[in-house]
Amino acid sequence: MPIERALRAGVLDASCSINEKEVKIMSAVYEVSNLEKQYKKGKVQANKNISFTVQRGEILGVFGPNGAGKSTLIKQMVGHIQPTSGTIMFRGESIFKQTKRISRLVAYYAQEPHAMESLKVWEVITFTGRLRGMSKKEAEQDGEELLERLRLSKVRNKLMKRISGGQKRLVGIATALIGNMEVLILDEPTNELDPENRRLIWNLILEYNRTRGVTVLLVTHNVLEAEQVVDRVMMVDHGELLAIDTVGNLKGMVDQRLRIEVTSSFGKRRVTEKVLKQWGEIEVLSENRLRLMVPKVEAGVVVNEIVERSEEMACEEYKLIPPSLEDVYFHLGGKDDLANGE
Amino acid sequence: MIWQMENELARKKGEIAARDLNHSAAGFMKQKLVEIWILFRIQFAEIRDSWMWVIGLASMFPFTTLLFLKFYTVNPTPEMMMRIITGNMVFAIIVMGINALAQEISFQKHQGHFMFYASLPIAKLNFVIAVFIRGFMTSFPSVVILAVIGQLVYNIQFHYSLGMIPVLLLAVFSCAGIGTALGFVSPNHQFTNMLAQTLLMVISFLSPVMVTMDMLPKVLQWVAYIFPTTYVAAAFRELFLSGWSPDVTRNVLILAGYVILSFFVILKTVQWRIE
Repeated sequence: MPIERALRAGVLDASCSINEKEVKIMSAVYEVSNLEKQYKKGKVQANKNISFTVQRGEILGVFGPNGAGKSTLIKQMVGHIQPTSGTIMFRGESIFKQTKRISRLVAYYAQEPHAMESLKVWEVITFTGRLRGMSKKEAEQDGEELLERLRLSKVRNKLMKRISGGQKRLVGIATALIGNMEVLILDEPTNELDPENRRLIWNLILEYNRTRGVTVLLVTHNVLEAEQVVDRVMMVDHGELLAIDTVGNLKGMVDQRLRIEVTSSFGKRRVTEKVLKQWGEIEVLSENRLRLMVPKVEAGVVVNEIVERSEEMACEEYKLIPPSLEDVYFHLGGKDDLANGE
Repeated sequence: MIWQMENELARKKGEIAARDLNHSAAGFMKQKLVEIWILFRIQFAEIRDSWMWVIGLASMFPFTTLLFLKFYTVNPTPEMMMRIITGNMVFAIIVMGINALAQEISFQKHQGHFMFYASLPIAKLNFVIAVFIRGFMTSFPSVVILAVIGQLVYNIQFHYSLGMIPVLLLAVFSCAGIGTALGFVSPNHQFTNMLAQTLLMVISFLSPVMVTMDMLPKVLQWVAYIFPTTYVAAAFRELFLSGWSPDVTRNVLILAGYVILSFFVILKTVQWRIE
């Protein structure tokens, strides 16, 4: 986390020396070491020898396909599941020695609050705030603000069981956001949400991180959207940790080539293909769409050529596509489709 | 190192906060009561729109039995009438305190409600207390309804005393404890439903709720000692017929033991945070 952000969030005191600031910034909120989780007497291995740290004030994305072991990992980090072996330290102490403290400092969202299906929307949010130790006034104020921010004001007096799935999810996220937490753990927060609400959630997560200094652990398979907000990314597949690094570094691990997707006029694909072939490897995506892989250094030249010869090669449209985290996942040996997530 | 210092500081802050709270016992109690109150409201929300129906329907089974026995028995003695009325009051407690509560807690468990509670900084004890209060709120009106109707139907008068308060409280709480414990340890919802229905029949008809202990076979007499309803029925009969006695004291102490035992079983054996 940048020093300015930490100062703004009150994590650091302006009078700290530079070294103190660096040390504090580097403090790991969570340290997970050699974590193993087995079910059915070892027949199912949900997590295999996973080690990583979550730095204070960062947004760490946990990416992986359905059944990769992401949720199991998170449940162990909030103390809901006991690991088979390995350790999980929260602020330097084992989490199983401080489960109460974890539930006070770590806000965890995994699903809609089914326990409160018979309550009204405003009650669900303010009751959760009060159970987190807020006064009635604080809980009501924060609750109203969240209702407005999450565009739930219209349904504030409706029972939870009477609102839509997407609205339930928003209420669930509000229950995670109410209170003064240090760490926010969100398991697939944008599932079932429309693009507008997804953007709303990503913005809120960023805001909590930037202005309040909240450390965020974000489990999602929506890699395209999530990579806009995360500082680092952890990739999990079949219970194993494939990689953990910044988005830039991870993307740098993949093929240094850029992808250029070209759409040709209908029925003219072969003409386009013939011209493109001279610049690199081609993949046919559909009847009139082709993908060309070109080395980064040659991309400029190739794009110029495409523009100049667009008529000759029957090119209707082209776009440059940088490597995505999905590419990184497959490059690292990931086998399943990321988009086919939980 | 940084965390060690911060943890130490947090502990000191916590100690200071705890000390401040202890200085104000009222503040400490208020904090705990707020937690129980909110948890109770969450529990009660399940029936707040239909509580009159719930209580009415819960009273139907014992009410029907009460009327049936009125038509069936000819010239009953005061002891018999008292046995029928108190037996049906116990039925009401079994229906709501054991049966309905066990099924409801089991439903909450298997629907993943406990995971939500586990992610909040609340004491399981307070959750259990909230559930007990809900059990009491839903059982108690039926008990009173049956007591009033029973006296009218059989034209007899209970012996009223202050002793009714602890007896009624312990009667409902001891059964609510069994119901809550059954719900908490439930392996699956369907099993809990079947177990609760079976218990309802066994406790109602094969234990000394409506009949005297010596009317039952030896084996059933021994089994009857397991159920708190045996002591509830005995305490009700004695208390309502002739007032507080050493027998009532004995039964009240046993019921208090059941309440403590069920709390202990729930709190010690069920870890809602860890799978």
